[in-house]
Amino acid sequence: MATLNINGVPHQVDVPGDTPLLWVIRDVVGLTGTKFGCGVAQCGACTVHIDGKATRSCVLPISAVGDQNVTTIEAVGESASGKKVQQAWLDLDVVQCGYCQSGQIMSAAALLSHTPNPDDAQIDAAMAGNICRCGTYPRIRAAIKHAAKEGA
Amino acid sequence: MSQGLIQALVSSHTVPNLPRRNFLKLAATVSATAGGGMLLGISFPAVSEGKPSQAYSEGGSGKAVFSPNAFIEINSAGQVTLIMSKVEMGQGVYTSIPMLIAEELEVDLDKVTLQHAPPNDKLYADAMLGAQVTGGSTSIRTLWQPMRQAGAACRTLLIAAAAKTWKVDPASCHAQSGQVIHDASGRKLGYGDLVKVAATLAVPKTVTLKDPKDFKLIGTPARRLDSPDKVNGLAKFGIDAQIPGMKFAVIATSPVFGGKLLGVDDSRALKMPGVLQVVKVDNAVAVIATNTWAAKRGLGALDIKWDEGKSSHVSTADLVADLRQAANKTGAVARRDGNAAKAYSKADKTLNVVYQQPFLAHATMEPMNCTVQIGPEGCDIWVGTQIPTFAQGMAAKTAGIPLEKVRLHNYLIGGGFGRRLEFDGVVQAVKIAMQVKGPVKVIWTREEDIQHDMFRPYYYDRISAGLDAKGKPIAWTHRIVGSSIVARFSPEGIKNGVDPDAVEVSSEPPYDLPNIYVDYVRQEPRDVPTAFWRGVGPTRGTFVVESFIDELAALAKIDPVKYRLDLLGKTPRLKTALELAAEKSDWGKAVSTGRGRGVSAMHAFGSFLGMVVEVSVNDQGEVKVERVVCAVDCGMVVNPNTVIAQIEGGVIFGLTAALYNEITIKHGRVEQNNFNDYRMLRINEAPRIEVHLIPSAEAPGGIGEPGTAAIGAALTNAVFAATGKRIRTLPIGNQLQNA
Amino acid sequence: MSFPRQYITSRYIRLLASVLMLAVATFAQADDRDAISKGAYLAKVGDCVSCHTAPHGKEFAGGLPMLTPLGAIYATNITPDDTTGIGRYSEADFAKAVRKGLAKDGHHLYPAMPYPSYTKVSDEDIHFMYVYFMKGVKPVKQANKQSEIPWPLNARWPLAAWNFVFLKEGVYKPNPKQDVSWNRGAYLVQGLGHCGACHTPRGFAFQEKALDETRKKFLTGATLEGWSASNLAGDHNTGLGRWSEDDITIYLKYGANQHSSAFGTMTTVINNSTEAMTMPDLTAISKYLKTLPAAGDKGQTPYQYKPEDTLAQLKQPTKYAGARLYQQYCLDCHGANGKGVAPYLSPLAGNPALMDPDPSSLINVVLNGSPQLRPQGIAAPYNMPKFRTVLNDEQVAHLVSFMQASWNHNLPATEAKAVTKIRKLPPSAH
Ligand code: FES
Ligand code: FES
Repeated sequence: MATLNINGVPHQVDVPGDTPLLWVIRDVVGLTGTKFGCGVAQCGACTVHIDGKATRSCVLPISAVGDQNVTTIEAVGESASGKKVQQAWLDLDVVQCGYCQSGQIMSAAALLSHTPNPDDAQIDAAMAGNICRCGTYPRIRAAIKHAAKEGA
Repeated sequence: MSQGLIQALVSSHTVPNLPRRNFLKLAATVSATAGGGMLLGISFPAVSEGKPSQAYSEGGSGKAVFSPNAFIEINSAGQVTLIMSKVEMGQGVYTSIPMLIAEELEVDLDKVTLQHAPPNDKLYADAMLGAQVTGGSTSIRTLWQPMRQAGAACRTLLIAAAAKTWKVDPASCHAQSGQVIHDASGRKLGYGDLVKVAATLAVPKTVTLKDPKDFKLIGTPARRLDSPDKVNGLAKFGIDAQIPGMKFAVIATSPVFGGKLLGVDDSRALKMPGVLQVVKVDNAVAVIATNTWAAKRGLGALDIKWDEGKSSHVSTADLVADLRQAANKTGAVARRDGNAAKAYSKADKTLNVVYQQPFLAHATMEPMNCTVQIGPEGCDIWVGTQIPTFAQGMAAKTAGIPLEKVRLHNYLIGGGFGRRLEFDGVVQAVKIAMQVKGPVKVIWTREEDIQHDMFRPYYYDRISAGLDAKGKPIAWTHRIVGSSIVARFSPEGIKNGVDPDAVEVSSEPPYDLPNIYVDYVRQEPRDVPTAFWRGVGPTRGTFVVESFIDELAALAKIDPVKYRLDLLGKTPRLKTALELAAEKSDWGKAVSTGRGRGVSAMHAFGSFLGMVVEVSVNDQGEVKVERVVCAVDCGMVVNPNTVIAQIEGGVIFGLTAALYNEITIKHGRVEQNNFNDYRMLRINEAPRIEVHLIPSAEAPGGIGEPGTAAIGAALTNAVFAATGKRIRTLPIGNQLQNA
Repeated sequence: MSFPRQYITSRYIRLLASVLMLAVATFAQADDRDAISKGAYLAKVGDCVSCHTAPHGKEFAGGLPMLTPLGAIYATNITPDDTTGIGRYSEADFAKAVRKGLAKDGHHLYPAMPYPSYTKVSDEDIHFMYVYFMKGVKPVKQANKQSEIPWPLNARWPLAAWNFVFLKEGVYKPNPKQDVSWNRGAYLVQGLGHCGACHTPRGFAFQEKALDETRKKFLTGATLEGWSASNLAGDHNTGLGRWSEDDITIYLKYGANQHSSAFGTMTTVINNSTEAMTMPDLTAISKYLKTLPAAGDKGQTPYQYKPEDTLAQLKQPTKYAGARLYQQYCLDCHGANGKGVAPYLSPLAGNPALMDPDPSSLINVVLNGSPQLRPQGIAAPYNMPKFRTVLNDEQVAHLVSFMQASWNHNLPATEAKAVTKIRKLPPSAH
């Protein structure tokens, strides 16, 4: 029995320690905003924040989560950078199918929280782990810059 | 999907020639809904009438008397609900279709709410595809008129209702953002207050559509209606279905195509925590568990024995050899103008080359999945699909129950690209669910999703031409060899042995070719399943035709843009697009060494694209795409925002494939597994993309696929410009390293 | 009246005989069953299956190509098939092949067959394995493949000379100064386990430089085609110096422990061999290995974990190519602190494989990933993916250099051409 702190709410979960946080969030806790895309940390669809750091939840065994704070897309809007990013995504109409966007937004929010005015190289470094099969990259880049302009 | 596929799909239906007049006849009815609202149903000449189906009534949206292909519901609170016959997979129909209705209905976009339509061909058949299918970039093309008529008829009724209430002449009233206003007195009534009366009125025999110059929404960039839920995690895709008591399944399908399950030792798996059950189906094993991970762990503990069947030695090389062989047969004639064979004798120069395009996976971001519950009350399916009615039918067949006992609940689609035009995943999930108590969600791992995709066929094209002294092509022969998807998908689409999809663009190049001969040889890749893939026929055809025309230009020592323009006399809209693309891309201006520009011109899906790509190639032979300029004439634009997004996305989708992707087969198995070896273009590799829309009053063309279809050749032509190396086999991969 | 005695006797004897025969028969069967299972266990210890089975091929039917500097040679069919396998081998023939590398027809086997180690296997164990291969293995008709070593190099007679010089015949002799368990460990490691075949450096003629702990270099690590087999001696950094006996036992049983996870061909060794070994045997092996003296640790100072510099670099991914690539492709599993999540996701910091100045294994794993680990027939929850298709040589070099410098490993950078070389090699057959 582990206790996970997800979006500020403690959750008792009874699964083996090797279980990735992703499947605990989706199947056990029932928050489906965090997506499954590859299971091998190569697409970013499952990105959540662990104590504010963008982390691929598909390769994070819950045995390693401990009492750190897990934030998912459902709650990222409560942080300043998360809110800004979501708004920018709306302003620039970034989404297409939308499946990758939870992860994109989580990565972008984490980026802005420690790098308020990222240049292209910094955006590349922070976002290259997030695949978008619909090809929304040009708008993602623009939206991050747009959000940055909104000021910290 | 292409004209070719459309012909295929509708060969048993009639394609309506969408009326150009703004004034047309229609039949309709109004009826009061349970909620005291009003429901308007419209039927169009194109669509057959029929009784409302079980499935539809269970859709819970009211009672229809006719069977229109769209429904508008307005309740007494003035809330407008649209039932969407199309499914949203990123292409933006959940914004553009509401725009069409809202435009004529005179409501603000944010006032309409959307509902997925239940499966029902009678009600929701796509007029071009002849079934309730989303694909082929047909949505706006087929709904452009009907949706506006629906809105207009509804508006007319509401005005009439107001006029009746006020005892004034309807002509003295007009509708505006959800209200009817009496111009003289300035009296106002909201739509909600009018529905009761309106529901009692007879539907007008005719409606007047707005003059395009009065459009308030159409043609203006509108925010996507599906965005908010897609940025806060609330949007529900098929994989997000949550059904009380749901179990989770992960599957292993025979790694070898055509293989069967011999047996499985599940003793270890059943001891794994959370594992509930191991289920066998003909060519796969599923582990059922309390969560997806437990199921995956259980799968890893199985000892499975496969009967690998006859294909266990097949490799890509064997399949390509098959194609090369087949290329020596004469094919079914797809096009014959003049006498190509004879014309060669007068040719000054000739060129004869082969182009090869690999198997490709769809790799939709949302892996294949399907949730099914089978019980005494029938079968419920929760899935995102482009073909709800086919899926429903196959489920009924598989489960051996009547159609009306199958309820399919459609969801947002996390990427379709053609993959979700297939029902293999649904059928498999039903087979599994038949052996499981309660609802079960079947999720394919990414490895399953890639290795058991239904692949874009491997195509082998042999093409040659003869040029006259001026370099003009006076002879043109093209043989397309490859799998026929249409033959499987809708056999009636095959005409005289020609697969209209496989030969598209090739059979109708946009260029003036006095002597052209095109034929098609069908050659199936043994047990490898094939399916439609974004851009379908035109993706294959445009790569070949646009690469080849570029080779001819080089052979004739003529600038590739000029060479094309001189041959585009019969296709003026494409000519304009190409000229604009050239202008915006600084075509002709010098580029630094290691760089090059390439061009392509494409006409398909009712749209016209001119595209210029600029690449740089480093000394390791790696290609970086620096800039893509695209000029688009897709007729009347409903939502420029969506059109541009679709071109951007289509370009990146096509670039990913042309640069990196091929599915290869060894020991009868797919060699690729996941994004670590089936490479996806990433943000740091994404080029600057500039899209220029050409204003047009023509009927809208499709836009979901042209970007993908046009980019391949433009890219390899740019590589040629930069390096002098002609890429005739995709993907580019490391061909330039080894050069 | 009385019966003729003779009659009684003869009858009695016949009865007795049949009873006896029956007894013998059942005894024989029991004996076989026991020998077969013992032999099967020993065949696992010897990991015969790994080399004598081709990918997607039938067990023990041979056909696996082994690359030698001279050309490919192919493992042979060791199923009891009369014509293509060893069906006609007597126990003596079998013993000769296993211990002396001599086939029944007298031709010399290449020393890719580790007979210099197997020569130490006891007569009893040879017997059990013989019974197993004859009665416990299904015969498969599959002709052996000719080696691709070109003439005249393919002549086998030089091997006789080779054996004369390098083959130290004779079964293992227990060391009286050590206890039973140590000796059992030594017997398994030097003999059937043939650990030295990979982990002991080889000499000019492909011979292992040492075949037991009495000679220097024994199990101190070796360079193979595209791999660097790790040092199993007591060295602090590159060896097992920081591993407890339990660490070693757990690693051999489950393929992962607090220090490292198995990768590359060792994964296959664990899947096909050590995972099935008894705890007493594994403990014995650990005990023996822990007595191997350190071999100088390639002059490195004892490792101490220090993550600060690495964490700082990871904060500026745009400045450091290695850090950027590590962040995108590796960090989510192995962590910024390099600690991974043992035993699921291998630690990198302080991992002997990363302290090895020879980066071959690291390069190889990044390029080709690792085969699925399956201890006790259950796939390990996480598996190292291959990156050869998404990373070019330069990027892999950046990554490897980053990992070898990070967390206070302080090893020199790797060049792209080292990656190019290994990329050209076929990924290890399993
Ligand atoms: S699902 Fe976690 S990175 Fe792809
Ligand atoms: S929006 Fe569809 S994958 Fe990114």
